[in-house]
Amino acid sequence: MAPLRDKFTIHSKAVVCQDVELKGDITIGSGTIVHPKATIFAIAGPIVIGTGCIIEESAIIVNRRKEVMRIGDDNLFEIGCRVESPTVGNFNTISTRARVHHTVRISSYCVIGAGCLVVPTEDEVLDEYTVIYGPAADRRTWSGRGKVQEADLRRKHAEYLRETLPKFNRLRRGEAHGHGA
Amino acid sequence: MSPSVDYHCHCLASNSAPPPPHLPSSSYSFHPLHELFFCEECDAVRCNRCVSVEVSGYYCPNCLFEVPSASVRAEKNRCARNCFMCPNCRNTLSVVPSDPPDMDDGRSPSAAVSAVGEPPFFLYCNHCRWDSAEVDITFEKPTGLAAQLQKYEDSAPDSLEFERLKEHFEPFLRASSSSALAGPPPTAHSHHPHVNPITAAASSALARDIPGVGKYTPHPRGRRDKGPRDDMVEYRSRVEVGGSSTMGEADVEFMRHIEEVSEVAALEQRWANSWATSLHTSDLKPLRIPLHSKKSKRCPTCRHILIKPEQKAQSVRYKIKLVAANYLPSIKVALPQPMDLVRRGAQAARPPGGEGNSGANGLHAGDTYPFTLSLTNPLYDPIQVRLSVQRQIPPASTTVASDAAPVEKSRRPPFAVSLPSSAFPIAAFAEAWEYEDDEDMFGVDDDEFGFEAREKEGKAKNKTVGVLEKRANVTVVGGEVVIGKDAKGEVKFNMLVSYTYRSDDPLPEDDVRGTPSRTKAPEMKTFSFYTVVNLGSIVPRQETKMDTDP
Ligand SMILES: [Zn+2]
Ligand SMILES: [Zn+2]
Ligand SMILES: [Zn+2]
Ligand SMILES: [Zn+2]
Repeated sequence: MAPLRDKFTIHSKAVVCQDVELKGDITIGSGTIVHPKATIFAIAGPIVIGTGCIIEESAIIVNRRKEVMRIGDDNLFEIGCRVESPTVGNFNTISTRARVHHTVRISSYCVIGAGCLVVPTEDEVLDEYTVIYGPAADRRTWSGRGKVQEADLRRKHAEYLRETLPKFNRLRRGEAHGHGA
Repeated sequence: MSPSVDYHCHCLASNSAPPPPHLPSSSYSFHPLHELFFCEECDAVRCNRCVSVEVSGYYCPNCLFEVPSASVRAEKNRCARNCFMCPNCRNTLSVVPSDPPDMDDGRSPSAAVSAVGEPPFFLYCNHCRWDSAEVDITFEKPTGLAAQLQKYEDSAPDSLEFERLKEHFEPFLRASSSSALAGPPPTAHSHHPHVNPITAAASSALARDIPGVGKYTPHPRGRRDKGPRDDMVEYRSRVEVGGSSTMGEADVEFMRHIEEVSEVAALEQRWANSWATSLHTSDLKPLRIPLHSKKSKRCPTCRHILIKPEQKAQSVRYKIKLVAANYLPSIKVALPQPMDLVRRGAQAARPPGGEGNSGANGLHAGDTYPFTLSLTNPLYDPIQVRLSVQRQIPPASTTVASDAAPVEKSRRPPFAVSLPSSAFPIAAFAEAWEYEDDEDMFGVDDDEFGFEAREKEGKAKNKTVGVLEKRANVTVVGGEVVIGKDAKGEVKFNMLVSYTYRSDDPLPEDDVRGTPSRTKAPEMKTFSFYTVVNLGSIVPRQETKMDTDP
């Protein structure tokens, strides 16, 4: 299929480092942070990332489908994870080196543990508060206790990065509140 | 499996020769070099089966607190500080406050959550997100949690039963120990100089007479025993076990109706509990982290310490460390890959087809394979090494000889091994910077100690058998194995290694040693040990004939 033309729409309050790989039609929302060496590939369809997300070094986000890949708010993509889910809700954590296949849709408050492989052959939607952990990718449901504190911590984390990253990295500038080249 | 060399400890045997390699007992008598110790007093190898082990300290693997042994007992072998283990995934739990009550919608941007945190507090697993509130365990304050959890543990029925049993026996124990004190002192109290107080206490406790239990000492029962066995009140347990309506049936009922495997607590999840626990995943309780211990090991014969860790929990070093690897040459065995053979020019002796597969595909019946033994000297002095294959006990004849006749059935191994027959040198260990130039890296004078260097003979006879390479403190020697046509099983043989070294023992007669003319100076010593060399399994002939034999 013909690759999408590059079109990056970066909110003025997002922090996207210069040294990231972007391809295709990508929209990045306010307050979202993309660390250097992260990769976002909109191969077949566009990718729209909401506000307050943190995308760490060498994380890979790929959209292989025609439909828009929507990533909600306040999600954390840790170092080296790879996510191809067509939709991701809010306040999810994808831990270090976890891999999530394009057959999985992630709702909200889910945690994919470090190194977990989530690659079901059938399409699947992870219920809210699903936790996948351990070498066998066991699953359980989180009670949700502590989520307010975690959300608070997530916001402080993002706030700190918004202050610190620009001091040490060149940033990509959004094309004046959103119109691509 | 790659070829291996293991070292013998003769603690299990009556004589010093190891069992033949085809016996199952062989694998119990041989150990990898890095697991062995060396007692300088006894001049002998010691293994983990024969050393005596003592606990030299307890600590928590999480907070690294060193726990005094009195507390270990009172706190039931678990950490009494703030260290807890997730019963679901065994990660460490942290103490967290509850969420502020008015903000059940986590998305509404809040004005900062208070730093102090709100009660109730609970234990929370960052990995699998289990929390103790799921099993109704919460705390009003974030401190002193271990004590509260220990109360839960101590209220387990098994724990209560055990306490009652101890109470029941207490008066009898006290009576008997006081009568023991009145009588002749028990043997365990006469301190053996090498027994530490804990061991002494434990053994005296074990040796103590327990009234009601048959007496070990053949004393006439005429004494005024304070607790004769007839006074023993019958013990009644709190819970009658074995009746009809017990735990067992409830468990069966539960197992009959499970819908998901995850409802049943896995063995690993119940393993770390002190007492038998419920099978229900929903009943799993947070656990205080079990303590670890540091141990020291002693020679079983002379009681000298072979290894002793530093006391501090943070330290990974040892105060004393007498490991065999510092005394015995380490031996690595390899079946050369085709490229190695080409380089050594040893290929002429072999048909090109068969041996090429030796490393990768195993050993083929009816073929001959060269192998190398690379020996590394850990000593600061050069050594002379002699290798020989242990003769098999049943027919004490030709299996060892290098050009042995085709091997017959019986119990002799279906292969013949050739090793360099003469002694060869290995240079002293030295730090890399001590070598001044390349020449130092290559070999020492063979006759430095007056040994005859006869390896030339060996080389002339066969290029694969003999010394192949010398560099720094490593000498590589070649051997050869001829595998019988109908051979099966493993190519595994016992090898005796003898090495001669300069002894550091200060001998009184210095003047005698001073005379340089003696070829065998008195300070030279020889140490011998057995190893088992496993070259791999034999691929039976018929299976491979078609595709690999030329
Ligand atoms: Zn032993
Ligand atoms: Zn601890
Ligand atoms: Zn856990
Ligand atoms: Zn000893």
